[in-house]
Amino acid sequence: MAMLPSGVFFSSHAAERALVRTPPQRLALAALLLVLVLLPLLLNDYLLGVLTLAGVTLVAVLGLHITVGMAGQLNLGQSAFVGVGAFVAAALAAKGWSLWLCIPAAALAAGAVSILFGLPAVRIKGFYLALTTIAAQIMFPIVMIRLPEAWFGGTAGLPVDPPAVFGLVLDTPRSIYGLVLAVVVLAFLGAANLSRSRIGRAFRAMHDNDIASSVIGVDLARTKIMAFFAGAFFAGISGALYAYYVRYVSTEQFTLWLSVWYVGMLIVGGLHTPLGAVLGVLTITALQEGVHAAGGWVMAQTGSSLSGGTVFALTNVVLGGVIVLMLLFEPLGLAHRWALLKAAYRIWPYPRA
Amino acid sequence: MELLQTLINGVLTGFVYGVVALSFVVIYRASKIVNLAQGQVVMASAFFVWLFVLALGWPLWLGLPAALLASIALGAAIERAIFRRLIGQPVFSVVMASIGLLILIQGAAQLFFGAQTRPFPQVLPAGAWQLGPLLLNKTLLIGAVLTLLTGEGLHRFFTHTRAGLRLAAVAEDHVTALSLGVSVRWATAIAWMLGTALAMLAAVILLSGTVLGLQAAEIGLRALPVALLGGLESVRGASLAGVLVGVGEALASRFLDPLTAGAASLVFPYVLMILVLLLRPQGLFGWRKIERL
Repeated sequence: MAMLPSGVFFSSHAAERALVRTPPQRLALAALLLVLVLLPLLLNDYLLGVLTLAGVTLVAVLGLHITVGMAGQLNLGQSAFVGVGAFVAAALAAKGWSLWLCIPAAALAAGAVSILFGLPAVRIKGFYLALTTIAAQIMFPIVMIRLPEAWFGGTAGLPVDPPAVFGLVLDTPRSIYGLVLAVVVLAFLGAANLSRSRIGRAFRAMHDNDIASSVIGVDLARTKIMAFFAGAFFAGISGALYAYYVRYVSTEQFTLWLSVWYVGMLIVGGLHTPLGAVLGVLTITALQEGVHAAGGWVMAQTGSSLSGGTVFALTNVVLGGVIVLMLLFEPLGLAHRWALLKAAYRIWPYPRA
Repeated sequence: MELLQTLINGVLTGFVYGVVALSFVVIYRASKIVNLAQGQVVMASAFFVWLFVLALGWPLWLGLPAALLASIALGAAIERAIFRRLIGQPVFSVVMASIGLLILIQGAAQLFFGAQTRPFPQVLPAGAWQLGPLLLNKTLLIGAVLTLLTGEGLHRFFTHTRAGLRLAAVAEDHVTALSLGVSVRWATAIAWMLGTALAMLAAVILLSGTVLGLQAAEIGLRALPVALLGGLESVRGASLAGVLVGVGEALASRFLDPLTAGAASLVFPYVLMILVLLLRPQGLFGWRKIERL
């Protein structure tokens, strides 16, 4: 809980514990939501698409925040779990299931697969557990394209029809943005509230010191598996949204590379708060678009043919550099900087405690 | 006889995994760092060989040592810039840093060298020796002998010399090692230089006479299960585990692949890895960790 300015008192425990506690905070939140809802009217289709994809990514990174930041279990296979969600949603949508069933089914399917790979948690911890998620990531495309074509389309992948909500067909960039925004808000609330629940406290205790937490009654194996399940659950939702947004899923979309990027975004933003996930996704998306724009500008100026591969490589150099620099100089991520800034503002003119 | 040939090929491929696994193990054994970017380091070394031998046209006797020096310099630079600053930090940060490094090297390699494939010099002799009805690939056989000799030499170094035993103390625990007067900085520097030198050896054995591209880095994650099976602390275990995985893969490819459309041999190392983690997390010859509160 961040410090509040002096003079703010609460008369009930519920008010003290609320996520949004003071009138200015409520105002700021309302303004933010208003801006987010009105954005489609201001942005062109390209920027709206970038933002939608950032929202889809954010749901997966929020899940990663639960597994990695809250519970301390390194997961390098998040994009495989997103892939499972995407394929399940696509396959069920093709059978005529509605969005209301497809998204939960995708989430549960991804969660179920993650349990399979979380099981070694009974014996191992920390870094070794990350290896089983790498195994999941590498095995995902190998297995997926060899399953019967009637299930998940094999190497060809699966096309997805636009979903319908309350009789409204979501086939425009704006309507998909609306769907993603609604899910992102729910996912953010879910992640923020999870850390304050009994399970979330168990996660955090395990993160701080697993042996000590087992002494005070946290069942480590069970909690680790739950952490994987929770993270993959979000990944499955993200996958379903991805399927609806891109309207086509194939195994090449869910690479180890993407998993590594998810972790990178989380590090840059800050592992330990949902806000960190948001900041990380937005920062990296902005960096990526910046490199793209700069690459395009250089191409236009010099007339040289800078290939898409070069831009991709440059983005990787920038992202890798940013991750390493953040680890060296601000391991707590941008979210921590933001918290410091807020604290400094609140206790001004007194110096930082 | 055909089965015997399959086994021999499996053993020889296994030693390639073994030498990459060895480079994982050496870095871990001397500094307690699991470097997930090891595949990228192998790729970078391979690019150095290409640069000196083919691009600059230096003869092998000059180009190879130059590439070796460049690789070691890369290792020293990585250690100095990143991992020295992370001494004493949780394992988590170190693994994350190696992931950042993975992205960085992959991107930098694509930026400087491009995504296209290029020829790799024929460092070790090509062709095969005929042994009765069996064929032995010369490159891989020489590579296997080199791997065994290096592994044995490193084993002697780590278990029989004062310097090697100091490194073992660092692998056990940074803080304890520091309080016993062992320089952890010195250890990580040695670890990285040894690790990158081995990566260079791995690059030569793996790629000699074939093509080099960005996907050469994939060997890193294929060799990771091998390092784990042998035990991350065991120098000798790496080669043996490599042979086990190589043979298993060859057998899976021969008997199971026709039934699974080629999936079995690709999935085999990772299924094995999960089984190892479930049944014997420290690997065949690794150290068992005992933890106290």
